[in-house]
Amino acid sequence: MAKKQIGRREFIISGSVAAGVLAVAGVGVKYLDISHSGEQLRQDFLRPPGAIGEVEFMYGCIKCGLCVQICPVQAIKLAGAHEGLSYGTPYIDVREQPCDFSCDALQCVETCPTAVLNFEQFKDAGALAVEKASQEPGVDLSKVNPFEVQKVAMKEAVLMGKAHINKNTCLAHQRKGFKGISRGTDFEGIYRAPDSKFAYATPLKDKEFDREICNLCVTECPIGESAIVFVPGRGSGKLHPRVLEGCTGCGVCVMVCPTEKPSIVVEPIKS
Amino acid sequence: MAAFDIIRSGKHKTPLKPKPMADMPHTELGMDYKVWCDSHKGTHKWRNIRWSVLIFMNLLFVLSFVFDLAILEGSLSGSRLIGFYLMDPFNALQELAISSTTGYIVHLTMNFWIGLFTILIFWFLLGGRSYCSWMCPYHFLAEMGERLHNYLVKTKKIKEHAFHTGIRFVFWFGFIILALATQQLVFENLNVVGIVSRAMIYGPGLLLFWVFGILLFEIVYSKRFWCRYVCPIGTTWSLVGKLSPLTIKFDLDKCGYCRDCQTVCLVPHELWFVQRGKATQETHYTGSDCTNCGLCIDTCAGNALSYTLKGWGTVL
Repeated sequence: MAKKQIGRREFIISGSVAAGVLAVAGVGVKYLDISHSGEQLRQDFLRPPGAIGEVEFMYGCIKCGLCVQICPVQAIKLAGAHEGLSYGTPYIDVREQPCDFSCDALQCVETCPTAVLNFEQFKDAGALAVEKASQEPGVDLSKVNPFEVQKVAMKEAVLMGKAHINKNTCLAHQRKGFKGISRGTDFEGIYRAPDSKFAYATPLKDKEFDREICNLCVTECPIGESAIVFVPGRGSGKLHPRVLEGCTGCGVCVMVCPTEKPSIVVEPIKS
Repeated sequence: MAAFDIIRSGKHKTPLKPKPMADMPHTELGMDYKVWCDSHKGTHKWRNIRWSVLIFMNLLFVLSFVFDLAILEGSLSGSRLIGFYLMDPFNALQELAISSTTGYIVHLTMNFWIGLFTILIFWFLLGGRSYCSWMCPYHFLAEMGERLHNYLVKTKKIKEHAFHTGIRFVFWFGFIILALATQQLVFENLNVVGIVSRAMIYGPGLLLFWVFGILLFEIVYSKRFWCRYVCPIGTTWSLVGKLSPLTIKFDLDKCGYCRDCQTVCLVPHELWFVQRGKATQETHYTGSDCTNCGLCIDTCAGNALSYTLKGWGTVL
């Protein structure tokens, strides 16, 4: 009996030390939580497509990295310890490697087991688009490829952020052209350009541009003219890029932008 | 829970009388007791098999990512084995605890549920905490640390510090309460298992210093501190393994009371019956804290310990 009591005493002592340590950890986490909540979301820390709100994301994401593994362009990375509580959660740094939709099916979203990258919205958008396409008057149903329609609709339903143009540094705004390789010969980023003859992504450094007025962000956009257009300005009549409602925030424009600091940035959507 | 274990293990019964000298295995063989005890020194059959499996599985994670093999993708907190999802149960448990209070639970995918139940059934059949010694990369590191620790204790450079194993449950409940209170998977930021696994697959990070810190603490202060007293993943598996068929069987008539098995064991309290005059039955089975690592089997001179499928003896 005496031995049992010693055991119990030991349990109470070490158990309360353990509980104390956990309580301190809890206070620390809460403190980090509060001190980081006012922070701006950054374009080098975009959440992958279909990400739910940040609060749910933080407990929903189990940090398995399946989205990292499936991404064909390796745009998704796992955050390090310097991101604090976000350690192990997936992010995209669009200046280094954006999401270029070359997987065609939002595979990172489909693979996520906890649905913090939520596929439901894309499934609905795809189904709706297919239904719409088949109901259009005078359409030859045999010529409509439902997979193509679905693919495009799903891609357009992505909303990671919105691109913004910095007029002070943008080459087009200064009536400058661009000739050469946009990010240098040792830049590692890859993407599938709209005019590419390949179905997969190719290195940006392999492509040489020659533009009288720089419009790389417009021509290389994987979404197309619903997202960004090259139009004359209202006052000056100068041609320059303008971001439209359809922008998904994928960040290809940020990667291809040839200025030293990108003249186009993606502002994450706060949800 | 503990009471249930006692009834099952036969600890509540009156102990059998210790064997007389004539019935001891070494006298039957006509050997000197010391020589007999050391006769299995250098046998590492199960340890080598286990280390091979552990290294192979963790390498499979790494190679699947590096060479895009699609065999075992993800990490130990969630993975996909040839297309079938597998979930870490403690991670899933925290997730379920939080998401059931916030209502997010309805969004969890079918793959999540399938993965959770698959892995629970899989490790239930393999003994629950077998995960620790056969799969966990930190266990491997800790085993190395343990050797260093044993050397330091033996040469009297440091003293051994043991704690009550029950504080695992304080940590287990504590981490779940912490998850609920902060709405974050707090444990995942401290989880040395996940950190090591992620570091191997996705590249090392700053949190490896935390892992080395824990390892250092284990080496210089308390043997296998994380595995024995903290790790809620191990605790979860030990709960899963409560009724698991795969355990280690002990035959009293082959035992020489040398207690070498208890010295090498991560959870010596599971081998309580090897001490002279403690066994209450002719055969005993280890409880659910046992990681089925096989170190005791390797070290036992009389082959008194062996893997068994309890309750399946008549079927197989």
